Amino acid sequence: MSRRWDEKRELWIGWWTLVVFYNLYGLLFFVVARTQPPPKPSLDPSEIVQWFADRRDGLLYGYAIVSIVGGATAIMNATLAYTMRRMSVSRAFAYSYLVIYALATLPGMLIMGVVCTVGAMRPDRDPELLSWLYDFAFLSFEGTMGVFLVGSLVWMVAVLLDRNRVFPKWFGYLNLCNALTEVVVAPAWIFKRGVFAWDGVIAWWINMAVFVTYTAVFLTLLRRMIVREDFGTGPLPELESDRAPGPAGTLEAAR
Amino acid sequence: MRTVEGRASGVRFVPGQPDMWAFVLFEALVFTSYFTVYVIRRTQSPDLFLQSQAHLDLRVGVFNTLVLLLSSWSVARCVHAAREGSFRAALADAYLTMLFGFVFLASKVREWAAAIAQGFSFTTDEFFSFYYFLTAIHFLHLLIGFVVLGVAVHQSRSFAGRSPELVETCATYWHTIDFLWVLIFALLYVMR
Repeated sequence: MSRRWDEKRELWIGWWTLVVFYNLYGLLFFVVARTQPPPKPSLDPSEIVQWFADRRDGLLYGYAIVSIVGGATAIMNATLAYTMRRMSVSRAFAYSYLVIYALATLPGMLIMGVVCTVGAMRPDRDPELLSWLYDFAFLSFEGTMGVFLVGSLVWMVAVLLDRNRVFPKWFGYLNLCNALTEVVVAPAWIFKRGVFAWDGVIAWWINMAVFVTYTAVFLTLLRRMIVREDFGTGPLPELESDRAPGPAGTLEAAR
Repeated sequence: MRTVEGRASGVRFVPGQPDMWAFVLFEALVFTSYFTVYVIRRTQSPDLFLQSQAHLDLRVGVFNTLVLLLSSWSVARCVHAAREGSFRAALADAYLTMLFGFVFLASKVREWAAAIAQGFSFTTDEFFSFYYFLTAIHFLHLLIGFVVLGVAVHQSRSFAGRSPELVETCATYWHTIDFLWVLIFALLYVMR
């Protein structure tokens, strides 16, 4: 095993955890539990009873796995916070990011999972109670949007202020785009139907398209950052393949 | 693996940081998707949208548009002055842009207050949901624009590290806000 691999092994473990987790998250929420894309908020109690009955096994098994792998978010958040520690900015950015995404895990994943499981576990419950659980689960999921909003802004400011070129500036601006689409989810607390409801084209579909793009971008940039990492404190070296043509630019062997 | 440190200074293809143009492109895509949804929904309920649209005051919309176009003019002057090294003039133009921005914000708040007083809220009907949504998300972009203009002011006031490129970057953001408003104005106030 090379020295370079030894130095970067922990970061690669973090990166692969991110990749595997996001894929697993998509599989569990979209395919197994089938809670995403979200169902209509306008369902009446009898339809909600049917909704729980239709996916009972998926909810029970899916969220059992979610509860097992949920702890992986600690590794993911730490890896992302590492990027801010590598920047020239205050450590407060990394700490803020860690705390805020640790909070996001609760409403966006664990509470939603537990509440859906409670609903699926005893399908003979009073339909009014199941309706209550249904609303609670999906509003809890929506509740993470404010956290993602602030988290994206923290990352944005860190990237824009950073002098170590850990990420390109356009990624800072992309964080702003992501933050602004999180704001758009806010009407989901008010509407039960239409494009602004929690299953609406604007509140969910467009928001999800932006989030998936954003996630794919930061996973790619994070991978490049790990490749470029020299474990120093100054600017991160650029990859040779990114070197602009011209007389400027100093070649340096990576460690 | 070999790496390279430092960036070669290449030919500039766009004013300001190219990174900001990535933001402009992405925001344009996001807003295009909002506009597309609006137009589709409008096509599905043309009577409802027309009836509700009639309650908007076109004169206020025109006034707001003119104010923002004036702010585009002043921020363009700011860039021109910064490029020539006249940072005092650039500072004055940045403040003038802020003033136009404040006028727009005040006018928009007044318009919202008037609409609410007439009983048209966010949940009144689908047209007003879109009206408040599109104008509010634009309002939020404008608020961020004040932070961006603050950077232009800082660049113009600071005697160290003045960067015309950064002023251009700020102006790019501000022009984007204006551009988006013109489209919102056309869709909400003018389109029949």
